[in-house]
Parts: sequence; C-alpha cells; structure tokens
Amino acid sequence: MLKGLLETLRSMTEKPVTIQYPEVKRPVRARFRGRHILRRYENGLERCIGCALCAAACPSDAIFVEAAENTDDERYSPGERYARVYEINMLRCIFCGFCEDACPTEAIVLTDNYELTFTDRHHSIYTKEMLLEPVPEGGKPTPQKVEPGVYTRAIPIMQDPTD
Amino acid sequence: MNTLRAKYADEIQAILAKYPPEHKRSAVMPLLYLAQREAGYVTVQAMAEIAEILEISITDVASIVGFYTLYYDQPHGRYHIQVCTDLPCALRGAEDFLKALCQALGVEVGQVTPDGLFVIEEVKCIGACHRAPVFQVQGDGEIVFHENQTLETALAVIEALRQKAQQEKEGTA
Amino acid sequence: MGKMVTLTIDGQVISVPQGMLIVDAAKKAGIDIPVFCYHPKMEPVGMCRMCLVEVGRPVIDRTTGQPILEADGTPKIQFGPKLETACTTPVSEGMVVRTQTQVVAEARRGIIEFLLTSHPLDCPICDKGGECPLQNLTMAYGPGESRFQYEDKMHLAKHVPLGELIYLDRERCILCGRCVRFQSNVADDPVIAFSQRGRALQIVTFSEPGFDSYFSGNTTDICPVGALTTADFRFGARPWEMIPTASICPHCPVGCNLTLNVRREAAAGGREVIKRVMPRQNEWVNEIWICDKGRFGYHYTESPERLRQPLVRKNGRLEPATWEEALAFAAEGLRERSGVVALAGGRLSNEDFFNLYQVVTARQGRAVLYSTMAGGDYVQRYGLSGDANLAGLGKGDAVLVVATDLHEEAPLWWLRVKQAAERGATLIVANARPTKLERYAAHVIRYAYSEVLEKVQSLLAGESPEAQALAKATNLVIFFGQEGLSLEASEALATMLARLLVQNGQAERPLSGLVAVWPHANTQGGWEIGFRPDPDLAHTLATAGAVWVAAADPAGDDPILAQALEKAGFVIVQDLFLTETARRADVVFPVQAFTEREGTWTSGERRVQRFYPAVPELENTRPDFMIVAQVADHLGIPLVGRSASRVFDELARALPAFAGLSYTRLAEVVEQWPLVGRGDLYYGGTVYENTQGLGVRLARMSAGAELSEWPAVEIAPAPADDALYLVPVVRLYDQGQTLVPSHLLQQRMARAALYLAPATAAQLGVQTGERVEVSAGEWAETLTVYVDANVPVKAGLVPRSTGVPLRQPLWVRAQRAVLEPQP
Repeated sequence: MLKGLLETLRSMTEKPVTIQYPEVKRPVRARFRGRHILRRYENGLERCIGCALCAAACPSDAIFVEAAENTDDERYSPGERYARVYEINMLRCIFCGFCEDACPTEAIVLTDNYELTFTDRHHSIYTKEMLLEPVPEGGKPTPQKVEPGVYTRAIPIMQDPTD
Repeated sequence: MNTLRAKYADEIQAILAKYPPEHKRSAVMPLLYLAQREAGYVTVQAMAEIAEILEISITDVASIVGFYTLYYDQPHGRYHIQVCTDLPCALRGAEDFLKALCQALGVEVGQVTPDGLFVIEEVKCIGACHRAPVFQVQGDGEIVFHENQTLETALAVIEALRQKAQQEKEGTA
Repeated sequence: MGKMVTLTIDGQVISVPQGMLIVDAAKKAGIDIPVFCYHPKMEPVGMCRMCLVEVGRPVIDRTTGQPILEADGTPKIQFGPKLETACTTPVSEGMVVRTQTQVVAEARRGIIEFLLTSHPLDCPICDKGGECPLQNLTMAYGPGESRFQYEDKMHLAKHVPLGELIYLDRERCILCGRCVRFQSNVADDPVIAFSQRGRALQIVTFSEPGFDSYFSGNTTDICPVGALTTADFRFGARPWEMIPTASICPHCPVGCNLTLNVRREAAAGGREVIKRVMPRQNEWVNEIWICDKGRFGYHYTESPERLRQPLVRKNGRLEPATWEEALAFAAEGLRERSGVVALAGGRLSNEDFFNLYQVVTARQGRAVLYSTMAGGDYVQRYGLSGDANLAGLGKGDAVLVVATDLHEEAPLWWLRVKQAAERGATLIVANARPTKLERYAAHVIRYAYSEVLEKVQSLLAGESPEAQALAKATNLVIFFGQEGLSLEASEALATMLARLLVQNGQAERPLSGLVAVWPHANTQGGWEIGFRPDPDLAHTLATAGAVWVAAADPAGDDPILAQALEKAGFVIVQDLFLTETARRADVVFPVQAFTEREGTWTSGERRVQRFYPAVPELENTRPDFMIVAQVADHLGIPLVGRSASRVFDELARALPAFAGLSYTRLAEVVEQWPLVGRGDLYYGGTVYENTQGLGVRLARMSAGAELSEWPAVEIAPAPADDALYLVPVVRLYDQGQTLVPSHLLQQRMARAALYLAPATAAQLGVQTGERVEVSAGEWAETLTVYVDANVPVKAGLVPRSTGVPLRQPLWVRAQRAVLEPQP
C-alpha cells in the first residue's frame, strides 16, 4: 500500500501529460493523415478532374464521384472533365491515404486536421464544397469563363523524374 | 444545284466516258482537278458535287483530297513558289534562303500572301542541286525555274509577277 | 462444314476449318493473340502489326510433293525469316505457330511503344479507361517506359464532334481503321474516312448531319482506344462502377439484346439510373451490333413526364387516387358493363398480353390489337422455325422484302439481309419507292402503291425472273411490312406470301418463312396470345361498354378514334405517360417501363426473349400484368399477378406454341462464335457476352389448317385524276412518345411533312418549304412540302408518328395552301 501511495505522490509532482484541448492542440506527426482537402491551381481552377480513381482505390468505398464535362464558358478544372459531385463519407473513411496515391493531379490531399465530429450520420458526408480549399489569392472561383483553347490538358505535363 | 455539272457538262461527260459505268468512282481524280482548276482549290461544295456525280459519299471524296498533297482544300495563291531544301540545296544555303524569303514576304511556309498571289512551299528535290538555292514558280499553267538565287533576285522575280498580275487586273477593270 | 486443317499453336494441336485466320484459330484453342485493327466481324487489313507471330510451314519436297522429314520422323518445319501477322494469314496444313517466343514478345513491345509515341496519357479522364484494349495490352505486353521524348508527343484536338452523337479525340486515335471499315463494309454508310497521310492521318466526316449513320454508336464499341465516345455517355461513369443488366431493345420487332449499364447518380437524387446502353451478343438476332435508336433511345424511361399516381375520374376530372381506390373503381366500372374491349399495343410484354386476354375473355369481351397491319397468324404458321438463323442464308437461298423499308423500320434486319445478299443469297426488294436495301438486290420490283397486290400475285404465277428466282431458292425468307397498305390489304398480302411459300415447297423448311416487320417490339406476341387488329376500330370503340387500353394511344394518333373513345362507356388506360387517350379515361394506371420490371417479348422472328429489371421502379408504378391481375381479382377472376415468371408459366401451359418454355429455359445460353465480351476487349470490342439468355424461338403452329383464299381486296382506285395517295412511312427517329425524351436525337427526328415527287410538286405548283393542304372528306391537314425524287408520282409520303393523324393510306385532294395574312 505504501508503494502505491508513493507512486501517487510522485506523479503529483510530475508535469501533467494531458493538455487543455481544444485550447491547446497536440502537434501531429509529419506524416499524419487526417481530413482530406481538394486542392486548386494558383488561378483557382480545381485540380480534381473527376476521374474517380480515388473512389476505385478506396478500400472502404467511402468516396463517390460523378463527372461532367467542362466548357470554356463554365470551367471548373483544366481539360474536359471535372467532378460535378465529390463526396467522402468520413465515417467510412479509414484514412489510409490510397486516394492521395491514386490521384493523377495531386488534387486530393490528406491534411493534419483530425477534428471530425458530427451529431448526425448524414453530416459525415463531406461534399465537394466542404472539401475544396479556398480560392488562392489572385485566383478566381470556379466555374470560370476562360479563353478557348487554353486549358486543354486535364493532367499537367509530366516532368521526367530523372531530370 | 450542281454548278460543276452545269458549267462543265461536256468535259465531265468526256471524263466519265473513260471509265466503265459500274466503276464511275474512278473518275474522282480528274474531276477533282477540274474542280481545283475552277476555284484554285477544292471547295467543300465541289466535293459534294463530285460525290453526287459519282454516287459516292462526300467523305470519300474529302478523304482523297486529303491524301494527295497536290489537291488543296484551302484557298491557295496564284503562284506557288516552291523552294527545294533537300540535302544538297541545304548545303548550298537553301534553308537560310527560304527563311529570308519568308521573312521578306511576311508569311510562313504554306501561307498565302495577303494579296492572295503567292504561296511559299518547301519541296523535295527539283533536280537542280548544283545551282541551289533554287526555286520554281508554278502558276498560270507553267513551271519556271529560277536557279542560283539570292534573296534580292528572288524578290525581283516575285515583284515582276506581282506587276504582271496588277496589269492584268487593271486591264480587265 | 468445309475441309478441316490441322495445325500446331504453341504446341497445341488443333483442327479448324480451312480458310480460318491464325488469330481466330488461336482464339478457338484458348490462346490470345493481341490485336488492335483486326475484328472478328470484319475483313482483316493487317494495319496495326500487333498480332505478329512466328509462323512455320512444313518443307515440301518439290519432286515428290511430300513433306521432308527430320531425322526423328517429324516433318521439317521452315520458319519465315520475319514474323507474320496472324490476322491476315490463313491456317494451312501442318503449320506451326509460336506466339510466346522472345522474338514475338519483343515485336509486341516495339509496336506498343510506337503506338504510345503520340497517344496521350490521359487514361484518368478517358471514357475507355478501364475497358481499353490499348491500356490492357500495354500492361500485358508493353514496355515500362518509352525511349521517345515526351516533348515530341503530338498534341491534337481532343474534342472533335463528328456530328452531335459521336465525338472524336484525335490524339487518342491509333488509326486502326476499325470505325472506317465498319462504316463502309458493315453499315455501308461510308460517312467517315481517313484524310491526310503519315503522321497527319486523321478521321474526318463530311456528311450532313455529321456521322450520318444509324449504326454510328457501334464504332465506339469497337474502337480499341477512347478516340470515339458517344455524346450520351461522355464522362457518365467509369466502366468498373456500373452494374450490367441484360435487357431487350423496346423499339422494333428485331429484339436486339442489350446490356443496360446502371449506376447510382447524385444528380438523380441518389437513384440508380441507366448510364449507357450496350449491345449484348446474340448471333441469332443482332450479332454484336445495335442501332443508334436502341442505344440512345432509352431516355423515355426516365422522363419526368412519367405517370406516378393512379388517376380516377371524379366529377368529370381526373384526380389522383390510391391504388386500392383506382383498382376498385376500375373493377366497378367493368362489373357494371358488358361488351368490354381490350385494346393493347405492341409495347406490352407477353405476360401483360396474356393476363389482359384472360380477363377480357372471362368477361366475354374482345381482345383487339392496336395495329394497322395483319399477318401475325400467318407468321405463326409460316414463320421461321427451330434454330434457324438469318446468318445461315447464302448461295441458293432467297430473301424477299415487300412493302417495307428495313433500314428505317428495323435496321438490324436490314444489316442481316444485306449480309445474306453479300453471302450470295438472291435478294428481291419490292416497294413503291427506292430504299437503301435495293443496292444489294438482285431484282427490284417497283409498283404503284395501288397495285402492290397484283404485283405480288404475279409472283405466284411463276413466269417473271423474280418469281423463278424465288421458286428455285432452297430457303426463302420473306420480310413484309405495311407501307401503303390498309389492314385488309396487308391481310391479303400476308396470305399471298404464305401461299408463295407453300407453292414453292419452302413452307416446311426451318430457314424459310414469313417475318412481319411490325411497328413495335411485341406485336407478334399479341398475335400469339390471341389479340387481333380490328378493321373498324372506331366503331368497335364507340359501341364498347368498356374499353381497356394498354400501351396504346389511339386518341393521340387519330381524332376519329378520340371521338369514338369518348362515346365508349368506361375507359381504363394503362400507360407510362398521360397520353391523349389517358386524358379521356375514367381510370389511369401508371405502369413500369421495361427497365424496371421483368418480362418477355416475342420478336418478329418469333424469338421469345427475357428482359430483366435494371433500375428500381418509379415509385407508385406497377407492371401491366400485375395491374390487370389486381383488377381481375376485384372481379373475382383469379389470375397470377405476383411475378412475371409465374404468369409466363401459366402462358406456357395455355398456349401450345409456348409449350415447355419457362424463364429458366429462356435464360439458357450456348457458346457463341466469335468469343466476345470477356476479358479480351481488344478482340470483339466492348459488347457484352451473353450470359443471361439467348431466348427461344416459338414452335411453328401446325400448318395443317388449310390456307384460305385471300380476301378479294380492292385498293380503292383514285377518286379523281388529281388525287394524291397519302402514305404513312416509317422513319427510324420519329416523334413517338418513347423517343422524344431522348433529346440527343432531336436534330435527326422526322418532322411532320409531305414528301412529293418533283412532278407532283410541279403539278401542284409548290416547292420545298411551301405548304399544301390535303383533305379527304372531313379530314384535312396542312403540311410542309419536301420535294424528293425518290417519291413515286401521285403519292405523298408522310412520316409516321410525327403528329399527322394518318394511320392508314388515304386518297386525298391536295392543293397549295394560301396562307392567310395574320391580322
């Protein structure tokens, strides 16, 4: 019993391991995988081209993508295809990051945000509007009206990795 | 309304007569030349008319126009200035000559000058390698060779042709 | 079966018919030789070089003509110094083929590397990605990386509309020429072609409208890359996301086998919707092709105009009601009245027809088929039988096509008849006007509309060369339609044609018989079950105690029938839409579309085929057979109404022609050649393999019954010298309720118009675009004129289902319409 009491006294003098969440947040590891965002290019166009490879790669079937066709008058992303609907069910998601690996345009990225709470199961479905990052400075929101013939490539020209 | 047939009824008949009636489509090449002679190039309208005459699809006619380099589906100049840039000519400075000529006329290879008179073409050997830079002018139904050219001499030739065309225009006006 | 040839492929000894190509022989042996340009349904060209293999042949001693033997007694095999294309080389005796050697692998790697020099790497956004031969073969045989500079890739136009239906991505095209060859050799619409040459080679179209062909969608199936895509599906879904369901095309009596690709769609409120319609192989029906009407014409099933609630007439107005209310109301209406007439259209399934027939006969009523064409009973007795396949027609056989334009009415039959003619069958086309099928005809019989029966009768006399060609044919297949014929005349025509088969001794042969070109998918099914058209429909309707209309819109088609319907005692309507007929009904039941339910249709060739539910039903709708059974239940008539398959079992018990059939039997398949739709998409294209049933042809009804004399039908002579014979003609894309919601086809849909011969137009003093008033008694219409050299003189052609109330041909007076200036 004395041994136990001693332990108690020792811990009273130690620095507390708990922190005052949510005022204080513990830093996450560099490769932590949290809530997804859909990134944009500098001019505001969405990187996501609606290819649904993330949905195909997703082991828990959490992603739903529906594609549609861009026009130069109403352009969401470069190339012909964009995601008209993009939804992630955060209850299903296991944050494995396969979607990030599958993405050919580096559009979907897992951030270090782990604060995903909802009071209703329906709220666990994050829509495209919720996932898209804000329009960067100097960029325009989508859809944009653009010059014809500029954004013909859906996937950025790849660089030779050995260069 | 088939304008080609209306205008060249006899000539078309003569062309068709060369081929057995069940292989009428063989007449497509001479008819295309006829159409090209008429407008300087083969218009879509002419393709449709030829297709109608030969009872084949217009797409087939268009595909033949596309295949042969000497049928034009775009307006072309009256004079084709054809500069050879094959190896021997290139060694004698034909490439620089072509570039300079294009610059002087303000057009690129394959483009028509704004007055619609000249088009510059880059061609393969025209058999005068030892006298390069060399070009030939095709137009008005004849081919004229111009050898050992410099930019100045070439421009003089072109200017002469331009004068000639100008005079004709005034003469008819 | 011709001579067999034995050869060795990769050590496997196989025997195949002489003349078969190595690539097909290997396929038979289960060895896949990759191809791009070769397609089993088309002649080989050897353009892509993907199928290169090592070919060795036995060395023959020239003096003895015997093979030289090796020391161990086996024949000495000489391999060529270079590889050969397996798609252009026919097999020969003793040939040895190696497909798995290092040399072959290197050749394949090289070809793929070249193909990819300018092919964009945009698989993520490509509609073909996931079912792409180039993608698959690159993974299987291609190099890991290219030695070419990425910067040197050609960047070409990615969005080239070849018309409003098909888009071309020039960058993706690998110039295999499958589409060009399909259009010129199979569909015979050479409206796309190669232009330019070398690296600039590209696909072009100059037709008006662009890519003007009824078969254009098939090129997207056989395209081995994502170069050709349909406007209907573009970016609709990824191939792996969709669920395939077997179905049958609802648009014409051919009964093409389809596969509906279904996926949940957010834009449709999370419902499962049809994303695209693909062909499903059935070598007896549509091979691996479908027409564009079948491919793009399914949108009516998802139209917002669909009925979603039973309607009941209360105080003179149609009001929404519950099912229970509506069923009770309908039963009440029937119970009180005698003389019930069921008027059913050819869109109903066999099960619907059967249940409706049961109720109506139990109530001593009449079962009327909504059709202006007769002859279904002759098709029952003199139709094709057993396993007969139109593909079996060839040299020594004959095909007679009468009073129909197959290319417009049933494109796939057109295709198959054309192929029969190309195989050597004698094709005889009889029509009042030139049709596209005539290009392949050995004989063309041209007649004035009024003398069609005389012309056909003269075929029976056997003197003309046409009659002799028909008489000496081993097999004779007769397609007959109703162009320019009244119901009575078409009855006479069918009788004569049946007589022709009997007289020539062909009636008993399986691959001989009548095929009726009906306007709907299941009109033949109606005949089988006992529905018959009525020559005086207006009178029948007007005097009926109650009329039960299913899948027909008589009031919308003809004001006279609309008036008749208003006189009828009580009207029940089952339909997808609130048609003109439904507006006049006392009860309206909303039914399910073919995509939402199960059922069977009987094709014009009498093949019974199953369609399966692909999408969940529209809420509050029921299948026709169930509605009928539920109304019957209220009347105390016990009918099976729970499941289509049980209704079909009842039907099979009741009707001798259906004896022994069941849904299980209809779902049986056998292996078909060529093998398509499996993992090897590069071979046959993205057509689906048939695993859900080939259907069964109904047994031929005993021809024992004596063939009656045909009724002496006089086609009314012209009432006046300047009278015009107004003839409704079928256009593939009409303004029917089942096609209009497919907006994509709108530009190509027929409009209400009057097609006149130049001479007739000149007589009337009108030109294209001007208007003519045509009238007959009280009937009058003003129509826009199109002058067309293919129209016979003294006739005026009016496209069917374009809003002109003309169900049967009619003599009219025509005069130039003077437009009143608008006040």
